Amino acid sequence: MSLAQKHFQIRELLHDQGVIFCYSGFMTEGILSGIGQAIKHKMTLESADANAVRGVFSVFVEQMQNIIRYSAEREPEAPPERSVLSYGTLAVGREGKHFFVTCGNKVKRDDVPRLQEQLTVIQQLDHDSLKELHKQILKGEAPPGSKGAGVGFVDIARRASRPIEFDFVELDQHYAFFSLKAVI
Amino acid sequence: MDNIYINSTDRTPEVDFNFTSNHFSLRGESYPEDVPTFFGPLMTAFSKHVKSLDGGSSLEFNFELLYFNSTSAKVVMNLLELLEATASNGAVVTINWRFAADDDNMQELGEEFGEDIKIARFNMCPMT
Repeated sequence: MSLAQKHFQIRELLHDQGVIFCYSGFMTEGILSGIGQAIKHKMTLESADANAVRGVFSVFVEQMQNIIRYSAEREPEAPPERSVLSYGTLAVGREGKHFFVTCGNKVKRDDVPRLQEQLTVIQQLDHDSLKELHKQILKGEAPPGSKGAGVGFVDIARRASRPIEFDFVELDQHYAFFSLKAVI
Repeated sequence: MDNIYINSTDRTPEVDFNFTSNHFSLRGESYPEDVPTFFGPLMTAFSKHVKSLDGGSSLEFNFELLYFNSTSAKVVMNLLELLEATASNGAVVTINWRFAADDDNMQELGEEFGEDIKIARFNMCPMT
């Protein structure tokens, strides 16, 4: 297959799924700023509703910052810091009248049960319960069962127009791949 | 205490903390690369100031944020808790929550934060 064929195949694969933006690679706060501005610009050009633009941008920021802070694939192999490069993939796309933001990154297998439990709780809550949980976490009064639930995940779920989707696939004895999708 | 003024950037709000007139505002976007580095010194100064206020003082805080991320939300919550505590110590505290009139989420967040403000005055201020 020629170089152009290979690239076009990747492009078509993404295009067929409605993807408008896709990034895969090491992520930094600078990349977040750049892509964030481009998403706002593109959505505004498409005359998307102002609330949809804000929702997509917000979910994009939370997902990018999750990857930057928590991806298990990073350089240097060190605790989360500003200067690290964290590997992940992120896409923004369109599904009919809705926009979606989806991301994926490696996580440690030991962290899977905790993430699974938190996200399952968040996935099942309705809008008012998410609002309540959001406030409790901000006040440091998160109820048992949602212990340590990331305020970022709650924020993503609040902005989504339907329950968030997520899952995991085991990669080897140490790592799993985590993926999350929110439709705005 | 010296007044603090910081210009806005793409990712941080304009900060106008006037300790002389007791007028404070945060205006713009808030998703700093590093929330503690940006807000830490501001929170320390603000917290120290409000604790030194006399019962008869009056203070106004304007939130005019276009967007804030989940980490900044914790800072907003901390500021509101400090403002409510200041009001319960006798100062007259006015909080204005300014938001674009068509921004449903910012309105909902204002209502959510405002629910717990009982002693300070909390005004919802839609901007057209």
